[in-house]
Amino acid sequence: MTTPQYSIGIDLGTTNSALAYVPLNEEQASVQLLNIPQMVTATTVETSPLLPSFAYVPTPEEIASGSLTLTGADAEAAVIGRFARTQSADVPTRTVAAAKSWLCHSRVDRHQPILPWNAPEEVRKLSPVAVSSLYLQHLVGAWNQQFPDAPFDQQQVTLTVPASFDASARELTREAAARAGFPSDFTLLEEPQAGLYAWLGVRGEEWRKDLKIGDRILVCDVGGGTTDFTLIAVEDRDGELELSRVAVGNHILVGGDNMDLALAFAAQALFKEKGHNLDAWQSVSLWHACRAAKEALLSADGPDQCPVTILGRGSRVIGGSISVDLSRELVQQTLVDGFLPACGLDDKPVKRPASGFRQLGLPYESDTAITRHLAHFLREQGGAGSETGRPTHLLFNGGVFKAAALKQRIHELFADWFPTEGVPAPLIGGEDLDFAVARGAANYGRIKQQGGVRIRGGTARAYYIGIETAGLAVPGAPRPLNALCVVPHGMEEGTSVEVPGQEIGLVVGEPVHFRFFSSTSRLSDEPGRLLTSWTEDELQETDSLEAALPAAENAEGGYVPVRIETRVTELGVLELWCVSTVSDERWKLEFSVRDST
Amino acid sequence: MLRLALGIRIFFKVLFSPRFARALWAWLEVWKTPATPESKEPDGPQRTPAIELLATLQREGRLVDFLQEKLDGYSDAQVGAAVRDIHRDCAGALNRVFGIAPLLEQEEGAIVSLPAEVDPGAWKLTGNVAPGAESARLCHHGWKITRHELPAWTGRDTSAWVVAPAEVEIG
Repeated sequence: MTTPQYSIGIDLGTTNSALAYVPLNEEQASVQLLNIPQMVTATTVETSPLLPSFAYVPTPEEIASGSLTLTGADAEAAVIGRFARTQSADVPTRTVAAAKSWLCHSRVDRHQPILPWNAPEEVRKLSPVAVSSLYLQHLVGAWNQQFPDAPFDQQQVTLTVPASFDASARELTREAAARAGFPSDFTLLEEPQAGLYAWLGVRGEEWRKDLKIGDRILVCDVGGGTTDFTLIAVEDRDGELELSRVAVGNHILVGGDNMDLALAFAAQALFKEKGHNLDAWQSVSLWHACRAAKEALLSADGPDQCPVTILGRGSRVIGGSISVDLSRELVQQTLVDGFLPACGLDDKPVKRPASGFRQLGLPYESDTAITRHLAHFLREQGGAGSETGRPTHLLFNGGVFKAAALKQRIHELFADWFPTEGVPAPLIGGEDLDFAVARGAANYGRIKQQGGVRIRGGTARAYYIGIETAGLAVPGAPRPLNALCVVPHGMEEGTSVEVPGQEIGLVVGEPVHFRFFSSTSRLSDEPGRLLTSWTEDELQETDSLEAALPAAENAEGGYVPVRIETRVTELGVLELWCVSTVSDERWKLEFSVRDST
Repeated sequence: MLRLALGIRIFFKVLFSPRFARALWAWLEVWKTPATPESKEPDGPQRTPAIELLATLQREGRLVDFLQEKLDGYSDAQVGAAVRDIHRDCAGALNRVFGIAPLLEQEEGAIVSLPAEVDPGAWKLTGNVAPGAESARLCHHGWKITRHELPAWTGRDTSAWVVAPAEVEIG
């Protein structure tokens, strides 16, 4: 095993990906971003540190022309990056977007070629895992091209995932990475933690002055497609400050892209008032124009209004262009009040069947009010008294917070929610909102090698397997289900647990299935605890687990009595084992992500 | 024989006439390179960095569309609305490709000191130009590029001269 020369951090985002790196043999070296070559038109390659997470599936003729630079092996080859993003407007049926959201969508089989979603038959389709792997392959290829003397698979690699990704989504990410040629010992790091590592990297040892024991940091991470809340506590361990990730929120499929889309809708109405009905192509350029206008209008001393222009599509750029004035008030209304509405600390996310911008297929959030999700998250952590849930510090992450008014709204809400304790102090320093996650991941890899403060976390959720109750069966009705806690919240890497309690009978000679649940809110359940009832909010069902047991010789009546043993590896992989109580045999439970529930 | 006689004649002419020597020297310099430069026209169209830059500015900022369009008949407001976007996008593309930065950091209007040897490519001296001037007032801070990262072309030679492809929509 060669010693790695670099720590590499990769942010595999819903809409953009990036790779940051730092040499491990220089103490003061700063974290750099890799310039990623990518096609920007069908015949042009350019480099940029941002790799749009889009895949374009070319026609056989386009492949035969030889101009395209493809990523991936023949059957899965696609164009990755900016050209693919452009194509998502021009040729939507051949373009894959938001593959990451599909990766954690447990109602579809993520190994099946289903993307582009709803594409016509002649389009070659790819699975969500394959597409994610293509993005990673593209980054690996770019690295190996620029660092031929430091092969990617011999470096210290950290890949980020949303904190709210459950065990099966993490496993699928890991699979995609393995396919892309990652070293076998790469680490998965939660994105909000990466955000904090980026801040720690900028502050150096100064962070010990900024934080004290008992402080709680809320990382508010709004990415392109997801929103993630994480609470990190500053604790005392043998007189030293230590960081500990105490809670993460549920997976919320609302992000910056939804905001841009909502604003584009509002602007579209203005165009309509002027008598312009926009076609699909114009709508996309409107989307881009609105993003620029948003940042200008929502900055601290922004103008009251900002023109939004759509240039003519033909060669007549002035004659064909139409424009409207977007007012600060409208943007404020659409984005700040729309996505971050004022609400009480005891407000709950509203469950509505459908919202205005719903892409077919993906289960987008029915309540797009990020603040209600935040209130719900804080209250869950706070328990009875609201005070314990109050963070003392606030770290914003994600490109949307370039718009100052959005941060401002969150500050205002904290002032309202905790009138006596006051507003959490913002953690400021090195705010590179677009690249903080990649940079933080690279910094994490360096800390892992060279020492420094680390965030202790363990599992972000508690996990439960469904056990059917014994007793009289009612014809036609399923047996009531109990949930057995097999992994406690915060179970640390490198530890294992034997789940106490009754033995479970496993049928031999055929595959067994367990329904599998997770919870971000039940923080104190111990392994072996059997829940007989729970609310829908408390436990979320994820992919089921399965194991195929060969017919055992000493099984009586076709059953083997087992206990469950769980393990979290040093690399953060969750493993569940069925251990026979009558022999030395043990069987690993695997996610049956092929199953649609 | 003729060449020998000519050689001797030229030898003495060079020795005694400096003017003739200079003229001959200059003529010899010219003689080194072919008198008529070879045709610059390549065999077929080739993608040059200049075409690539033009294509980039058109792709990102619609610069060619804008310059090729007649402005007659449009109001200043119409032109202004379009120009804002063209300006933003062309500037973004230029900066990405070239990283444009001022040549001198000082404010325009400030007095700057001149180097002992002035590179005419980097300094344009105006006003009372005299040898040995040590300082001068900065009128324009100049521009330089800090990188040179033109996109790479992967297309065929047949479309090497295409600045923007024809766009069609299949129904």
